[in-house]
Amino acid sequence: METIPKNEEPTATPPTERLAYSIQEAADMLGVNYFSVYRLIQRNKLKVCRALRGKLLVPRTELLKLLGTE
Amino acid sequence: MNYYERPTQLQEQANAEAMQHFAEHLKQFKANCDALQNIERNLTMTASDASRAALQSSGRIVQTDDGAQWQHAVDLTGITSICHRRTAAGFEFATVECLPLKSGEMKDVLNTGHDAREVLQAFVRDQRQVLKVWKDDVNAQVKELESETFWGRNQAEDLRFSLARRSAKATHSSTSFLSRL
Repeated sequence: METIPKNEEPTATPPTERLAYSIQEAADMLGVNYFSVYRLIQRNKLKVCRALRGKLLVPRTELLKLLGTE
Repeated sequence: MNYYERPTQLQEQANAEAMQHFAEHLKQFKANCDALQNIERNLTMTASDASRAALQSSGRIVQTDDGAQWQHAVDLTGITSICHRRTAAGFEFATVECLPLKSGEMKDVLNTGHDAREVLQAFVRDQRQVLKVWKDDVNAQVKELESETFWGRNQAEDLRFSLARRSAKATHSSTSFLSRL
């Protein structure tokens, strides 16, 4: 008789790095108020893209550029 | 929603939920609008204070990221101020933002000019644009939230509404048909 291998506990996989973040998330990552993030966007210091319904998303690369860790 | 129609219970619920979800955004939006209005209201006085500071050459030194040196004149918001410096062409004014990023402070010149009043007006115009970007983004977020939370229920309500209307129509037509007999 074949023995059915016992299901092992799923190993915790590291969270995948996302390609883009919301304004609030970007503000948290930069350590500033989210109004400041809108200021950076308006001054073209931070390039953004739009989601389907027009919501602004900040690409990860842009955040890293601003944080100087790229 | 048609503006001439009374909002349904579901629409009212969606609105209330969105208001609750974005309460902090709305609060901050109002605070920023008020701060901007305050700057606009005191624009003449702030401009004359900045001009006076320039004439007296007073204020601490502020070095911006582009290497330029300015002297602080008046604070506008928590992180922006109007600064001045002396050039060959006379006094120059600038609105400077000191943004405390996690990676270090970012000191940027937002607007410059030889007239403090004009520099302040340009600053106010720019801040209005920022508020518009913010407003558009929050609108998009509200739409997203409503569609995520209420999409299925909206469909169900629309279906119920159209069924109720059809059945009412059918009842009406059958009774009018019966009355003709």
